Amino acid sequence: MSGVSRFLRLSVLATALLTAGCGGWVRDNLTQSTTPWRRVQPTALPVSLPDNPQFPIVAARMRSTGAVYKSYSVVLGNPTALPGENRLTVDVQTLPDSLFGALVQPARVFPVPLYTLESLTRTLAAEFPDMTATVADAARRNRYGDYDYAIAQDEENTCVLAWQLITDRARMLPERIEAVRLEYRACGTSRNPRVLLQPFDGLVLILPETVLEADGLSGL
Amino acid sequence: MTRLAVPLLGVLLSTVSLAPVAFAQSGPGGRALAPGVKVEVAPAPGSGTAPQPGKVDETALRYYARIGDVERLEAEIARLRALDPTWEPPKDLFAPQPTTAGVDESPFWALVSAGKIAEARAAVAEQRRQTPSWQPSANLLKELDLAEAAGRLRGASDTKRWQDVIDAAAAQPEAVACNRLDNAWRLAEAYAELKQTDRAFDTYKTIVSQCPSAKERRDTIFKASRHLSQAQIRELTALGATANPAAGEDYAAVRAAEAEIETGRLLERAGTARPGSLSASDLAQLERTIREKQDSGGALALGWYFQRQKKYAEAQGWFAEANGWSPSDQAAEGLILAYAGLGRKAEARAAAEPWRGKSSRVDQALKSVDPPRGGGGRPAGPQGPSELDQALARRDFAGCLTAIQRAISRSGPTVALVQQRGWCLLELKRPSEAEAAFVEAQALAAREPVRGQGAARNSVRGAAEAEGGMTRAQENAYGQAIARLSTGDTVGLTQDLARLNLTPAQKAEVRASLLSTEAGRALEDKRYHDVLRLLDARKELVPEPRNLGIMRGWALYNLQRVEEAYKLFKSIDDRLSTRESREAVETSWKTIYHDW
Repeated sequence: MSGVSRFLRLSVLATALLTAGCGGWVRDNLTQSTTPWRRVQPTALPVSLPDNPQFPIVAARMRSTGAVYKSYSVVLGNPTALPGENRLTVDVQTLPDSLFGALVQPARVFPVPLYTLESLTRTLAAEFPDMTATVADAARRNRYGDYDYAIAQDEENTCVLAWQLITDRARMLPERIEAVRLEYRACGTSRNPRVLLQPFDGLVLILPETVLEADGLSGL
Repeated sequence: MTRLAVPLLGVLLSTVSLAPVAFAQSGPGGRALAPGVKVEVAPAPGSGTAPQPGKVDETALRYYARIGDVERLEAEIARLRALDPTWEPPKDLFAPQPTTAGVDESPFWALVSAGKIAEARAAVAEQRRQTPSWQPSANLLKELDLAEAAGRLRGASDTKRWQDVIDAAAAQPEAVACNRLDNAWRLAEAYAELKQTDRAFDTYKTIVSQCPSAKERRDTIFKASRHLSQAQIRELTALGATANPAAGEDYAAVRAAEAEIETGRLLERAGTARPGSLSASDLAQLERTIREKQDSGGALALGWYFQRQKKYAEAQGWFAEANGWSPSDQAAEGLILAYAGLGRKAEARAAAEPWRGKSSRVDQALKSVDPPRGGGGRPAGPQGPSELDQALARRDFAGCLTAIQRAISRSGPTVALVQQRGWCLLELKRPSEAEAAFVEAQALAAREPVRGQGAARNSVRGAAEAEGGMTRAQENAYGQAIARLSTGDTVGLTQDLARLNLTPAQKAEVRASLLSTEAGRALEDKRYHDVLRLLDARKELVPEPRNLGIMRGWALYNLQRVEEAYKLFKSIDDRLSTRESREAVETSWKTIYHDW
C-alpha cells in the first residue's frame, strides 16, 4: 500500500512539475525576429566616414535580427531639395555561436545577389523618381574591393546608389564574420558622380576584429 | 456576404482543352443560356450516362443533415435536384436513421468536410483492408476526386503554373463550378495569364451567366477587370445583369459594376496628375459618376487632380463637394489649399476653423495661408502670395525647401521658417533631417525673444504662440515626434512620450500611431493576442481605421476565431469593398466552410 501511495504521490509530483508553467507558455518565435530601430551615437557605428561638409552624419540607428545580423543605418545630410534621405547602410552577418543558432537562423536580411536587373530598376525608380538613371558599366573600387553603382540625374542634381558585398572570409573578414553588405545612397548638386562617391570610397569598417583591406592583400 | 451555398446547377467544366466554353448544365438537354455562350453538356463523372430518377446517392445528404451543416445540405439538395429534377429530399432527412449493416461512412465524410482529403483516402483504404467486401459510395469517391483535383488546381495557380491549372481543370471538370467559384476564377486567370484572353473571357461569361448569386457575378466582373478590355467588361456586365436571373437575387449591383470599375480606372489615371491625363469626356463621365454617388473619396481625388494642375477654382469646387457630402479634415485641407491658391485667405481660414488644433494636416495647410515670414521685417499690408506660399499651395515641397533656403539666406533663420523646413522635409521623406530641423527650431525659440522680433509680428501671433492653440515649443516637440515615428524610433519615442511637451490631442495621436506600429510588429511576429491588446488600447484613443480593422481580423483569424474574423471582414467589406477586404472575406469564409 505504502509503495502504491508513494508511486501515486511521485506521479502527481512529476505531472505537476512537467505541466508547471503550461498556462504561461508561449511559442518562442521572437528569437529570430527583427528588433525595432534604436538610435546610436556615430561613434558606436562599425564604420567611419571621411569628413565631408556636404554629407554630415545626421543620425545613426541600429537593429538586430536574431543573433546573426546587425544592421546599421547612417543618415547623411542631403544638400538638395530632392525627396529621400542620403544614407549608408551596413549589414553585418556573423556566424552563429551555438549549435541551436546554427540550426535555427533568421531569414537573410539582404538578398544575394544584392540586385537583379529587375529589382535594381524598381529600386532606382523608387529612390530617384523623375530622374534618369543609368547603371555604371564598370565597377569602382574602395578599400574592400569592387563595388557597383548607378547614377541618376536631372537638370540640377546628381544621385548615386552604390552597393557592395564583402564575403572574402579566407583573407579579409575575421572568422566570426560571415559577410558585410554595404549600400550607399547620396544626392548632391555636383554633376560629377565621383564627388558623391567619395564618402563610400573612403569609408573604413571598424569591427571588433580587424577587417583587412583588399589592396593590402594584393601582394600576399 | 450572406453567401448561401450555391446550388450546384450541374454546371461542369467540359472538354476544357477542346472547347473555349467551360461550363455546362448537366441536366438533361442542357441549354445555351446566353447569346454567345456555347454550352456543352457533360454528365457528371460517376453518374453514368444519365441520372436515373430515384437512384440518387443520398449518403452525403444524410451526413450533412445529421451534423447540421445547413449550407452544405442546401448545396447538396440543389446538386441532386440538378441531377434529377424529379427527385425530392426525403422527408425523414432529419430523423435518426436506423443503423444499417455494413460500414458507416460518416467518419470519411467528416474528414472530407474538414478538408482532410489525404486522411480520408487513407481511412477509406484502411476500411477496405479491414472489410474487403465493402465498396465506398460513388458519392464519397467523387467528392474525394473533386477535392484532390481542386487542390491540384489551386496549387498550380498559387505557383503560377498556368498551363497546369488548365490541365487540372480539364482532368476534373466538376472541380470548376459555381459552388467552387474560386477554382473557376483561377481557371479564367490562367487563360488570361497565358494570353488566351478569348478563353478567359468565355470562362468569365459562363460564370456570370450560370452562377445565380448577384454578389458572385459582381465579384467575377471585378476579377475580370484585371484582364479584360473595357468593351469586354461592358459585355460581361450586361450578361451578368440579365442572364438566367434567379428568384430573390437583385442584379442592380451587377449592373453598377462596370461604372464602378470605370470610375476606379479614371480615378487612378487622375492620380497621375499629368495635365490632360484625362480626356474631356472621361472627366465628364467621372464627374457625373462621383456626383451621382456623392462619392466624397472620388471628389477628393478630383480635387487634387485639379489642384496639381493649379486649376484652383475647380479644385475648390470638388473639395467643397467632398466636405459637403462627408466632412473631413482631408477635405478641409484641400479646401484651404485651393482657397490659398485663389488668394481667398479669409475663406481658407473659415474652412479650417472646425479642424484647427485638432488636425495636424489642417494646421499644416493653414501655413499656406499664414506662412512663416523670414526675418519678421516684411512690411504689413496688401501683398501677393510669397514664393513659399505658392510652393505650399502647390504641395511642392522641394520648392518649399528652396524658398525657405532663400528666405534664410536673405534675412536669417527664424523659428517659424526652420519649423516649416521640418514639415517640408517630412513630406519629402527625410525624417532624420526633419527632426534635426525641429531641434534647431527649438534652440532658436529659446534665443528668439532675446534677439527680438518685429513688433508687428509679435502683436499678431507672439513668439510663443503658434496656430491651433499650441505653443511653438509644442509644435517643435510634435514635429520631432512625427519625425521619430517616421524613422521607426518607436521604442525611444514610447519611453520619451510622457515627458514630451505636447497637447493632449497630440499626445493621443502620437500614442495611437505608436500602438498601431507596435501592433503591426506583433502581427509580423505572430503575437496575435498582443495585436488585439494593442489595437484595443489604440481604439480607446481614436477610432479604428479600416486597415487596422483588417489587421485585427487577421489576428482573430490566426487565433482560430474565424467566425469573428469573418464578421469583421464582412462589415468592413460592406462599407467599402476593396481587393484586400474581398480576399479577407473570401479566405475566412472558405476556412469556415472548408471550401478550399
